[in-house]
Amino acid sequence: MTTFAVTLEAFTDIDFWIGVGILAGTYTIFALGLQINVGFTGIVNFGQAGFMAIGAYTMGILVVKAGWSFWLALPAATVTAMAAGLLIGLPSLRLRADYFAIVTIAFAEIVRYVAQNARELTGGNQGLLGYDDSWAEVSAWILDRLETVGFGDQFLMPLLLVTWLTALALIVVLTIAQRTPWGRVLRAIREDEDAARALGKNTFAYKLQSLMIGAALGALAGYFLALNLAFVSPESFEPLFTFIGYAVLILGGLASYAGVALGAIVLWTLLEATRFLDLPLAAEKVAALRFMLVGLLLILLMAYRPQGILGKRREMVLGD
Amino acid sequence: MTDDGAILEVEGVRKSFGGIHAVDGATLDVARGSITALIGPNGAGKTTLFNVITGFLRADGGRIAYDGRSIFRTPPHAIARRGMVRTFQITKALAAMPVIDNMMLAAPSQPGERLANLLLRPRASRARELEVRESALDLLDVFGLADQADEYAGTLSGGQRKLLEFARALMVEPRFLLLDEPMAGINPTLGARLLEHMRDLRARRNVTFLFIEHDLEVVMRHSDRVIVMAQGEVIADGEPEAVRRDQRVIDAYLGGQR
Repeated sequence: MTTFAVTLEAFTDIDFWIGVGILAGTYTIFALGLQINVGFTGIVNFGQAGFMAIGAYTMGILVVKAGWSFWLALPAATVTAMAAGLLIGLPSLRLRADYFAIVTIAFAEIVRYVAQNARELTGGNQGLLGYDDSWAEVSAWILDRLETVGFGDQFLMPLLLVTWLTALALIVVLTIAQRTPWGRVLRAIREDEDAARALGKNTFAYKLQSLMIGAALGALAGYFLALNLAFVSPESFEPLFTFIGYAVLILGGLASYAGVALGAIVLWTLLEATRFLDLPLAAEKVAALRFMLVGLLLILLMAYRPQGILGKRREMVLGD
Repeated sequence: MTDDGAILEVEGVRKSFGGIHAVDGATLDVARGSITALIGPNGAGKTTLFNVITGFLRADGGRIAYDGRSIFRTPPHAIARRGMVRTFQITKALAAMPVIDNMMLAAPSQPGERLANLLLRPRASRARELEVRESALDLLDVFGLADQADEYAGTLSGGQRKLLEFARALMVEPRFLLLDEPMAGINPTLGARLLEHMRDLRARRNVTFLFIEHDLEVVMRHSDRVIVMAQGEVIADGEPEAVRRDQRVIDAYLGGQR
C-alpha cells in the first residue's frame, strides 16, 4: 500500500527547484515566440523547435568548429534563425493558416534530420559540446557574487538568474511593443487579415516580422537549453517540444505574455514533479504517465478555465 | 478613356472560379464625386467585382484604372493607401479589439506602425496617436457609437457593426469608398444618418461612393447613377429613372429572357 506515493522530499530540495526554474525560464522564452505568432498575429507556427535548433546549433558550430567567440556567435546565430524565419515565411505565409502550420512542422523536422545526419558539423546523435567556456567564466563570476549572499554552492544558480532576467526583460519589452500602433496591427491581423488589408496594412510584412521575432526568441531559448544541457543533440528538438510550448501557451492564456511565464512554471513543475511518482511500474511507463497527467490537466483546464491562467475570456469568446 | 470625370474605369474585367464566370467582361465608369449604386440580382457578380477592383481577388483579364492609373493586380493594402477604401458585405469588425482600437487602427500615416520608428521616433508615434484618437472619437460620436468606444467590437449589434465599419473606413481618409450593402441590418434612423453623412462627405471633400444595395427604394432616392449587373456583365448604366424603366433590367430582376 505504500507504493502509491509521491516522495515529498524532492519539493524541499533546492536543486529540484533550480532545475525546474531553468527549464521554465527557457520555455518561457521559447513560448513567448509562439505567443507573438499565435496569440497576437494569428499565425500557427508549429516549427518553433526548429528555430530553437537552428539557434543552438549555429551558436555551437560557430564556437566549436569555426572558433568564433561565444559572444559573437550569439548574435550571429540569432540572425541566422531570423533569416530561416524569413525564408520559411516568404513562400508560405500567404498560405492558409493550416497549410502554413504543416510547412513549419516539416521545416522543423528537416532541421532535426539535418542535425542528425550532418555528423561532421553537428556531431550527429552524439551531440555537440564544448561551446560553453565563455559562459563558465561568467557563471563563475556570478557564483562568486552569490557566495556573499550564501548561494555559492548552487552551481546552476547563475544560469537560473540569467535565464529569468532575460525572460522577464523580454516579457516587459514585448508587452510594451504590443501596446503600440505596431502591436495593434498585429492584433488586427489575428482578428481578420482581410479587414486589416482593406484598411491599408501590408499584413504580409507584419506576419513576416512576427515570424522572425518568434524565430529569434526560439533561438534565444536554444542558447539557454544548450547551456543547461552542456551539449546539443537532435533529440532536444523533437516536435514534442513545440507542443510543450503550445501547452505552456494554453495554460498561461492566449494573448498574454506574462501568462506564458506562469504557464511554463506550472507545466514544468508538473512535468518534473511527476518524475518522482513512486509507482510499481517500469520507468518508461511512468514517463508516459507523466504526459498523460499533463494531458489530463490541460483537459480540466479547458473545461473550467478555457482562457488559461491569465487569458481574457471575453477576447476568446468574441474572437470567433 | 481619357474621361476626366471618371475616378474608376473598369474595362472588360473577367474573373472565373473553375467553370463559373462570376464576372464576365464587366465594363463601367464611376464619375468623380458621384454617389453610384451597383445593383443586380443575387449571383450577378457584384461582390466579386468589388473584390477584383479592390485587389482582394486577381482578375483573369481586363483593365482597371483608379484616378487614371492602372491598379490591375495591385495588392489591396496599396490600393487602400491610395484612398480607395472598401467595406464588406459580412462585416469585418475586429471583434476582440475595442471599438476605439478598430477606429485608430485605420488611420493612415502612423509612424508607430513601423518597429524602427518606435525606437527612433517614439514621440511622433504618440503625437499621431493623440490626433487619431480625437478624430476617431468625433466620428464615433457622429454614428452614435461614442458610448461604446471602449467596449469590444464583438459586443456591438449587427447594425452597429455596419456603422463601425463605415466609420472605420472613413478613418482611412478615403477619396473613393466602395460599400458592400452598407444599409443591410441597420435601423432606418441610422441608415438615414449614414446616407446623410455620405452626401455631406461628397459635398465637403468630394468623396466618391460606389455602393451595392438591394433596397431599390434607397437606390432610386439617393444615388445619382445606377449600374446594373446580371450574370457577370453590366447590363445597364444610367440615371435612376432611366434604369428603372430599362426592359433588360426588369427582365433580369423578374427572371425574364434576355
